[in-house]
Amino acid sequence: MRVRLVQEPYGHCGVNVDASLRRERVYEMLRLLGRCMVDVAVVGAGQTKYGNHPLGLKGMWAEAASKAFASIDGDFEPAAVEEAFIGSIAFGGSQLGNTAALLTEHSGMDGVSVRRVENACASSGFAFRDAWMAIKSGQADVVVAGGIEKMNDLTPERKRYWLGVSGDTEWERLAGLTFPGTYALMARRYFHEFDANHDDLVHVSVKNHFHGSFNADAHIQKQVSFEKAAGGFMVADPLTLYDCCPTSDGASCVVLAADHLAHKFTDTPVWVKGAGAASDNLALHDRPSITQLKATQTASAKAYKMAGIGARQIDLAEVHDCFTIAEVLATEDLGFAQRGEGGLFAREGNGRLNEGTTTVNSSGGLKSKGHPLGATGTGQVVEVFKQLRGQVESQRQVRDAETALTHNVGGSGATCSVHIFGRDR
Amino acid sequence: MTDEVWMGYLVHHAADYTVVQSPFVLDGARVFGADSDATTLAVAGLLHRLNHEAVTVVSVPDGVDGLSLSAATGVSLHDGGAEQEPDWEVLISDEAIVVVSRKNADVQIPMLDVEVEVDADFHAAIESAWEQELGAGHVSQGAYVSQAQYNEAAASRLKLHGQTNGDQIVWPPRFSHVVEGATTSGAALEHRGNVMTWTTLSAAGAPSEFSLRAPILGGVSTVLLALNDGPNGVFLVVDDEDTVLAMDAPMQLVFRRLYAQEGFVRYGLKARAIHD
Repeated sequence: MRVRLVQEPYGHCGVNVDASLRRERVYEMLRLLGRCMVDVAVVGAGQTKYGNHPLGLKGMWAEAASKAFASIDGDFEPAAVEEAFIGSIAFGGSQLGNTAALLTEHSGMDGVSVRRVENACASSGFAFRDAWMAIKSGQADVVVAGGIEKMNDLTPERKRYWLGVSGDTEWERLAGLTFPGTYALMARRYFHEFDANHDDLVHVSVKNHFHGSFNADAHIQKQVSFEKAAGGFMVADPLTLYDCCPTSDGASCVVLAADHLAHKFTDTPVWVKGAGAASDNLALHDRPSITQLKATQTASAKAYKMAGIGARQIDLAEVHDCFTIAEVLATEDLGFAQRGEGGLFAREGNGRLNEGTTTVNSSGGLKSKGHPLGATGTGQVVEVFKQLRGQVESQRQVRDAETALTHNVGGSGATCSVHIFGRDR
Repeated sequence: MTDEVWMGYLVHHAADYTVVQSPFVLDGARVFGADSDATTLAVAGLLHRLNHEAVTVVSVPDGVDGLSLSAATGVSLHDGGAEQEPDWEVLISDEAIVVVSRKNADVQIPMLDVEVEVDADFHAAIESAWEQELGAGHVSQGAYVSQAQYNEAAASRLKLHGQTNGDQIVWPPRFSHVVEGATTSGAALEHRGNVMTWTTLSAAGAPSEFSLRAPILGGVSTVLLALNDGPNGVFLVVDDEDTVLAMDAPMQLVFRRLYAQEGFVRYGLKARAIHD
């Protein structure tokens, strides 16, 4: 096929186009082409305190959204939001259908294009990814990503049902597994394959409780001693109570904007420098290895490549420590520790605040800050947004933080999203 | 005639019949273990019989789940019509004794001297829990596996039917590997494997479908087995034996009750230590 250049690109079909319209069309084309190069920034972020929250779904969401909007320095109206993505498992089933539309109704975003995003505990990590892609695609300039879960208004039996819905029901659940059991299987296997033991997990727990003790939004704001954490009630052998995150209520919300609008909202946007996501076999028994999460490895490799940096350039990481063994595996899969040395990484205190190359879970992580399933992913973004702007409590501020990473996992690793953020564009 | 322990039960093999008895005794009568019933004994008896001769069609009485028995053994159920009289039948009794018998055989129930005395309170509590779990009024908060979903995967769950995909054995089956409309093809896995890892969940941490029985049992144990034929699988550990779990330990898979919901029992394979 031969292409013939014409002098009048918009007039050759006999259509009479005046010069200004032609110029406008060229600009439009350039704008759309340039979209693939658009940068995306987080310009506002807020969350409820995690824990036994007195409010229900609507109230919690309204609180998180209003805090996110209030954190925006410049002029902002909720009506400016063009798309909203809200992550939730809809724990308890009280509002399974049209959850997102109901919530945005209570946060001043009437009429916005909205949907619930569900990927188990990675729901809002993927909601954030979807929001980022909405801007990258050129379909929107201002987008909200958030997450929510109300977990503590259920009977214990109903709660235990919902805590296990994200595994492979037909095979894992019928084999007696909820997630403490699944991660316990991973932990015991890890100890078997590598030079590690339960003490390494205790170090993770103690560290994250230490960080969380300074976080006013954390579910558990208490430090624990090594001895106490080591001797906790056995939940799923070898995991004790101090290896497991709490069951938390909470909501989180972030506002993203395209680069040409970011500085209208704030002088200190936090830029999304890399994004990656992946999935893996849902059931543990279908994976070649249960001591590494392939989805994390794939997602982080994509994110690092996009950001053009490696693990050593990450100043702080919010990783998905639903159980302490999950943090040990994450530090390896994200490249902070060598394979099989995640236990050693914890033992040597590398993730502690300002002590190693990378501070891991400055918020307290899921272990201490809490884990309101659907809210966790964007809750991690709230933390890095504040850290990179120097806005967290001084006792847990990561010094000279320039670059941060969030790592959000669904189930035992079936889904994973990783994002990399920076103060610089 | 031979007597042996088979899949955790006492089996007496005669020319025309197989008697399966629970090892547990209360007040002089055989009683079921914590996750056994007439169906689990019947499956064990039929599998034992199949080691000696072919059985193609069997009839079962009320009280035995014929669909699960058929899926676990591969033996067809008699459809009740007169055209195809079964050669074999399952007989049940008031005690935890089941007979798999050639039709109209003269069955003698042997008195076996292996008896494990069960604690009366424990037995009553477990029986009561099962009764409550099976009751029509009990709406379990447990994971929902519908009858249709249960039936669809019955061959792979109860008989370890997998698929061959080139040189690889795939289990549980994948619909992306469906061969001529069937989700399973030509690969029935050996019911044995070795422990890759294991855990015991406390009663408080056990899934809600086990919430009535886990406190009585002191929690539930799960193993991840590397099956001898290649694939891995997660399985509950049998409830009616004290099992010491260890990495790499060999285990066999036996047919037991998992849980009940909406009036029907979901059966599955559970792991037991190989010591008989």
